[in-house]
Amino acid sequence: MRRADYIVLIFALVLLPVLYGTYWTRSAPGQAVRIIDATGEETIVPLTQDRHLEIKGPLGVSVIEIHDGAVRFVSSPCSGKLCVHAGWLRNGNDFTACLPNRVSIAVVGGTEGYDSINF
Amino acid sequence: MHNVCLTLLRRAIAPLAAALLIALPYGCARAPEQVYKTQFFTLGTVVDVSLWGVDNQRAADAVKTVENVLNEVHRRWHAWEPSELTRINAGLAAGQAVTISEDESQVLQQAKSLAEQSEELFNPAIGKLIGLWGFHSSDVPKGPPPPQADIDRLLAAQASMADLTIDATTIRSRNPAVEIDLGAVAKGYGVDLAIDALRKMGIRNAIVNAGGGLHAIGKHGNRPWRIGIREPTHASGIIASVNLRDDEAVHTSGNYERFYDYQGRRYHHIIDPRSGYPSSTAISATVIHRDGALADAAATAIMIAGPQKWTEVARRMGVSQVMMIGADKKVYMTPAMAQRIHFEISPAPEVVTSEPL
Repeated sequence: MRRADYIVLIFALVLLPVLYGTYWTRSAPGQAVRIIDATGEETIVPLTQDRHLEIKGPLGVSVIEIHDGAVRFVSSPCSGKLCVHAGWLRNGNDFTACLPNRVSIAVVGGTEGYDSINF
Repeated sequence: MHNVCLTLLRRAIAPLAAALLIALPYGCARAPEQVYKTQFFTLGTVVDVSLWGVDNQRAADAVKTVENVLNEVHRRWHAWEPSELTRINAGLAAGQAVTISEDESQVLQQAKSLAEQSEELFNPAIGKLIGLWGFHSSDVPKGPPPPQADIDRLLAAQASMADLTIDATTIRSRNPAVEIDLGAVAKGYGVDLAIDALRKMGIRNAIVNAGGGLHAIGKHGNRPWRIGIREPTHASGIIASVNLRDDEAVHTSGNYERFYDYQGRRYHHIIDPRSGYPSSTAISATVIHRDGALADAAATAIMIAGPQKWTEVARRMGVSQVMMIGADKKVYMTPAMAQRIHFEISPAPEVVTSEPL
């Protein structure tokens, strides 16, 4: 093989994981969480920094925790606690909401494989 | 001579191929058009709107329009907060003829005919029963389930949309037990209205998604809109995906949307009008159709019908693209749905495909 052949080969090998990452992986870990509150205000918070957030809603305060690249509802002043039971969200497009308190969290970044989710 | 040519060719090919390989994915990703996505709360759920190829200013106007349309549906048709519907219900309960607008008349007539087609499995006249179970509240009830005697009393009253006489301007009821609750069609109807409003603004490519129901028009650039259907036995995850054609609505009814657990049993908000209890033979039902109100009502009726009866209900309602997840965890599908659904879980679930509908 000549030098040019090696160059092509190296390019191909380098490109392979990039292409794989771009086109094949689905639900890759997300980079941030988009929080929407009752007033419709959107806040994007990176998942890289561990922290607690308190979001005010009509019923009271929903507490959201970010830890180790994932996000969850720790508590919310609703009766069903569906949001808390949803547990940790870490992949792009993972979503849950406390409807009574009108707070939603959606993981963004990563590979968003779907345009919209029907549930 | 031959050798020289080959060398030249090789020298030219290497950088060319490399440049092509690098440019290819970036070239595709750098399409000038973008998706605009936003979310807000209305109709007691999270609504998300996706628009393709619309500049930010127009997109913001479009989202405002969607919000106004859905808020109007909420104001008119809310089943327990003061609305046009609660006004109508109060009049009907008092035995009066109630004046309605032409739009309202159309919605109520469609609900009546959908109820008839579904053999009353979709029964929007059983508002009292749904209220008895505690689901006429923004908060999820805690239980216990209502006393059997109260359920029996409401079942005996046989509230049905057939008890209503609806013309262009008035509605009357010959059964005081009728209380209209459009919870199983309002989303489908509202989302369709929102899509109509977007079309009138000249928007060609959009999805309006109100939780259990969405309607898509056009495409996402040069590919179809691709949606995920949530896995119904877990709080998150996707069971299947489907590529949508232009002008299609997808509606799912499921036992996981609103429910409470009481003494180890789950009680959810989709009440079987035959038993007066939450339906138990299916976990969820998904219907794809151009008419969102029809898809929404059919999803509810099919979920209540369960594995034994769903094909009959689907045929009568004129829906051919159906996926139902039974309480037995099997996935029941029409051939038209099976063709286009792509499972996103492994192993793929056991599938039972029906006769063509």
